[in-house]
Amino acid sequence: MYGFHGRLLHVDLNTGGNSWLDLEQSRLRAFLGGVGLGTSLLYDFAPPGVEPFSPANPLIFTSAPLVGTGLTTTAKYAVVTKSPLTGFIADSLSSSFFALELKRIGLDALVITGQAASAAYVCISDEKVEIRDGSRLWGKSPSESESMIRSELKDPAARVAAIGPAGENRVRFATISNEGRHAGRGGVGAVMGSKNLKAVALRGRCGVSVADPQGVEEIAEIVRRRSLGPVTDKYRNIGTVANLAVFNRLGTLPTRNFQQSTFEHAEALSGESLTENNFSRRHGCASCTIRCERLFKSLSRDQQRLEYETLFALGPLCGIEEPEVVLQAAHLCDLYGLDTISTGGTLAWAMECAEKGLLAEANDFGLRFGKAEALLAIIPTIAGRSGLGALLAEGSRRAAAEIGGETMHWAMHVKGLELPGYEPRSLKTMALGLAVSPRGACHNRSGAYEVDFSGQVDRLSADPGRGALVVASENFAAVLDSLIICKFLRKCFTDFYAEAAELFSKVTGWPSSSMELHRIGERIHTLKKLFNVREGWQPEDDWLPARVLDETLPTGVVQGVGLTAGELREMIQAYYQAREWDENGFIPEKKLKELGISTMQNENCKM
Amino acid sequence: MMRELERINRDGIIADAAAIILSGGKSSRMGQPKALLIFDGEPLILHIVRKLQSLFTDVVVVAAPGEQFVELSSLLCSQPDQPNELSELKKPNKPKVKLVRDEVAHQGPVGGIYYGLRAAGREVAFVTSCDVPFLNLALIFYLTSQISNHDVVVPHWQGRFQPLHAVYRRTVAPLLKEQLERGELRPIYLYGKVRTCEIPEEEIRRFDPEGLSFLNMNSPEDYEAALTRWEEKRLQGLGPDSQLSAFSSKPSREGSVSCTVELFGVARLLAKTTEVSLSLAHGATLSDVYSALAERLPILVGRVITPDAGNLSSGYACNVNGIDFVRNSNVKVNPGDRIFIISADAGG
Repeated sequence: MYGFHGRLLHVDLNTGGNSWLDLEQSRLRAFLGGVGLGTSLLYDFAPPGVEPFSPANPLIFTSAPLVGTGLTTTAKYAVVTKSPLTGFIADSLSSSFFALELKRIGLDALVITGQAASAAYVCISDEKVEIRDGSRLWGKSPSESESMIRSELKDPAARVAAIGPAGENRVRFATISNEGRHAGRGGVGAVMGSKNLKAVALRGRCGVSVADPQGVEEIAEIVRRRSLGPVTDKYRNIGTVANLAVFNRLGTLPTRNFQQSTFEHAEALSGESLTENNFSRRHGCASCTIRCERLFKSLSRDQQRLEYETLFALGPLCGIEEPEVVLQAAHLCDLYGLDTISTGGTLAWAMECAEKGLLAEANDFGLRFGKAEALLAIIPTIAGRSGLGALLAEGSRRAAAEIGGETMHWAMHVKGLELPGYEPRSLKTMALGLAVSPRGACHNRSGAYEVDFSGQVDRLSADPGRGALVVASENFAAVLDSLIICKFLRKCFTDFYAEAAELFSKVTGWPSSSMELHRIGERIHTLKKLFNVREGWQPEDDWLPARVLDETLPTGVVQGVGLTAGELREMIQAYYQAREWDENGFIPEKKLKELGISTMQNENCKM
Repeated sequence: MMRELERINRDGIIADAAAIILSGGKSSRMGQPKALLIFDGEPLILHIVRKLQSLFTDVVVVAAPGEQFVELSSLLCSQPDQPNELSELKKPNKPKVKLVRDEVAHQGPVGGIYYGLRAAGREVAFVTSCDVPFLNLALIFYLTSQISNHDVVVPHWQGRFQPLHAVYRRTVAPLLKEQLERGELRPIYLYGKVRTCEIPEEEIRRFDPEGLSFLNMNSPEDYEAALTRWEEKRLQGLGPDSQLSAFSSKPSREGSVSCTVELFGVARLLAKTTEVSLSLAHGATLSDVYSALAERLPILVGRVITPDAGNLSSGYACNVNGIDFVRNSNVKVNPGDRIFIISADAGG
């Protein structure tokens, strides 16, 4: 088999045993790798209705056909499980050398079930699988754990993905981290912690074979050249932090828990200012020519990674105006292994509660919008689940349910996942994308904002035409996340589906087509939804927070802009229609058959 | 909603900005309240309010307590004033006017600006006085548009700052309060402490060649001269309505179009500036904007602007006034447009 290894490794932490299982070609062809393969395996491995922190909930790491082929930006892997934050699918991506190593082990997926009797880490060296004592690592940061494991294994080339204290303490938005990158959203790190699993260490020596090496190399060279052209200028020369200033000017920068969409101190926090005042180093993932990562200097550290989502969530969303504070807060999140978006989102919720006198415990910290000391003091308590931190470690939805009253009105989540830095009222296509995403409020599984920024639609108006546009965006993301290709490369293709199909054919030797990839994207997305339906999804889960529908934006060029429940409902109906689902958003059997899902999943359930 | 915003922006109403008119002076040399001088057939204060309402959603009038406040209240407000509370007038089809009193009378402009900013509740405010009959809306629009990276935008005309024809960000209010407490009653003490954008004379002359905007009236002689001047301009067909033409979609009288290009991301870093003002021929398109920008900032050519200077490179996009993403470079530019040049990829 080319591009794939055709097998998975199942590690059972209950017994300490492991088994290598064949992966059928039909499944790989139907779901590719990454998120698609992970979703397919989750559907089969997770017992219906499984509790996210149950040992039976599988934690699945997947590789993908393009990993290791030399195509730029493809050193990525996916982590898929049932999310403790949403109760639905969590599919999270991370990247760099750990991804390459996973492929070199000679597998397409690593499925971990069970719970170790005490703190442990899994070490896989080619075919040898060990469950090792992790007690020394417990309480350490992910990066410290990586170093300690390499040292313990006496193998500086070993690659490690680890959780921090937040994962150990089952903070529902804990991450899994490798080399400073995070599989960030949905609490995959908390599931890992619930298994008493501190880390996964890999050392592989298995090569990657492709069907047409010369053909792959030629395409890789073309794409590499394009990746250094104008379409990636932003990522190469400022990084994603460039979004902040322009989002502010366009009235799409969520501020003070989405009470505003402009921030009066945006200039100080802008990517342009950070570049001029705090730039330290440019960095990139393995096998990447774009190298979008930016490391910035703070008073306490020489190099701190910062992305737009972290900058927005720990900055304007919390009313924080000082770059220094955001950099320090970002460092704390890295140290403890916390998703910065959900951390910022949950803290912003708490700040608003505190300002309205509804969260007395917050007074001990002086927690308010813009209060830097409080922000920095409370993050460790979330990771440690101590005091008020124990409440906030549950995420904004559960915390609001606990405090009650009107506080749910400003818990800014969808399906329990906190909103990213794209204001839905001034980006109406994105509003729909956020509402219906199986992962919850997510800007990666639906890039619907791109439609709003394209000039193709009026971003401030809602109309049913957005349904089909969101479907296209989701299917596109599903293909990218399963091949896997970084989204920052997406504009380097002139006809993505045709070129990706050609590449896939040359890698796997399976003749493919644009139409096949379109269908695969739809299949993967539909299976995510099917999983959610099985786990209890109801139509009311596809909705936006009350604030978005009840309040208009008060500032900037979008002053007075809002989104009504009627407009959202109409777009959601159009979306279901475009998906050929029923009017309540359930998938008809006919559609499942058309996509070959029911047959395939039933057969594969026997695994 | 889209249409409404377009109207707001294309017609020149400035979102999230207010106008403040200071009317708290003693008018001692004039011998009568300057705000109530008859000008163009109506009290001067009404004349100024009406003019500013064409540009700002909210207009605030700051008056001294006592007799003058009562007079203005009866003129501007339909309901009697309640002590220490704002009076609001909502005329049919009119934006509201707020009348607020100086809490301590005659503290000079610092007090007036402070109370005005506090009452306006907007992010920024254009501040003027009640004795300037020749306000120039094109200049005011331009001044307000320069505030994005500053706390104060103040014209510098014939060697002097014009603090009562300037734009202030609300965040300077606490500093003004401190000045009041220290007895520093001149606004210029503020300028060294905050991000102040000084607009030079040559820039002002683009909009108001004679500087009539700063012509105030302190004596009966000034009043007479202003009335004569007004009549001359009216006969020349250059009354207040002509100034509005810069904000309509009609061509301006001078046949040129002024617009501002705001730069973001890589473009900003390369150019080392956040924005550039351009004056283009009537009927200019976005393509003309890119060409003019290329001439002004050659460093952008080949990277942000295409080598032929007629369009943006594939990694860049254009947004007009923060609302419309425009891909067609043949779209015409309207006077006062703010054209954003941003990355075409909003991924983060």
